[in-house]
Amino acid sequence: MTEFEYSEEDVLKSASLGDRDSFGQLYERYAERIFNYIYYRTGNVHDAEDLTARVFQRAMNHIKNYTDRGVPFSAWLYRIAHNLVANWHRDRSRKQEIPLDDLPMLPTKGDHPERNLVRSQEQDALLRIIRTLPPERQSLLILKFVEDMSNAEIGAIMGRSEGAVKSLYHRTLLALRDQLEDQNLNLEGE
Amino acid sequence: MIKQKKMLTPKEEFSDLEAQLAGTLKPIAPPVDFVKRLRLRIHMPDRHEITLRLTDWRRLFVVFGGVMSGMLLLVTLARTFYYLVGRKM
Repeated sequence: MTEFEYSEEDVLKSASLGDRDSFGQLYERYAERIFNYIYYRTGNVHDAEDLTARVFQRAMNHIKNYTDRGVPFSAWLYRIAHNLVANWHRDRSRKQEIPLDDLPMLPTKGDHPERNLVRSQEQDALLRIIRTLPPERQSLLILKFVEDMSNAEIGAIMGRSEGAVKSLYHRTLLALRDQLEDQNLNLEGE
Repeated sequence: MIKQKKMLTPKEEFSDLEAQLAGTLKPIAPPVDFVKRLRLRIHMPDRHEITLRLTDWRRLFVVFGGVMSGMLLLVTLARTFYYLVGRKM
């Protein structure tokens, strides 16, 4: 694996000293992940790109203030993204459901291209319901399933303990199940 | 016919939901050139830098003087050309 010659600590150190190339390395390492998070929170490719750029602009401007106090750099980035997405929702007053027409399909990684073009009705319905959840619960699901993070990692981003994340996850699943039952959606088979 | 519902433990119940969530919330591939495009955007000078550049009066004066001199030279050349060609016609 040749992707990173320097440890993240070294790269962070030189980036905080104003080295733009080092920051570029961090950017390339995390850009896609932050984009994924924002895309699922906004449901809009263009806004996801715009907000991702703003996350990294803000991170670049404030990287001197970042000090490793047990919170990983990725968690710091996700917190910036979380705040920007919250502002985005506030600005646009988009508390209500976003129509699925505004949710263009982007190909998922690792799947056959033709399979990517089809999103089942159940998946559409589930996405709709996820979008009606409180922001914190949406973030939790995205971090868990899209970013494949552990409860401890999610806790670092959300500023909660591992147990609190576990409990929130359980409550989120219960709420989701109830909403799915209300809508008579069967998830047991395809 | 009454369909008897099978009793499921909470873990079993959620395993279906979790499977569906895993199938729905997948990492997506961003648009092609996304990283490159945003990298360019990030390297664009921000407002603060633009303001600093505009307040660099010496540089602004040299640029303005250069542009005006260039335009004067072009006008002179055009007039000379017109004078020479016009006289022959």
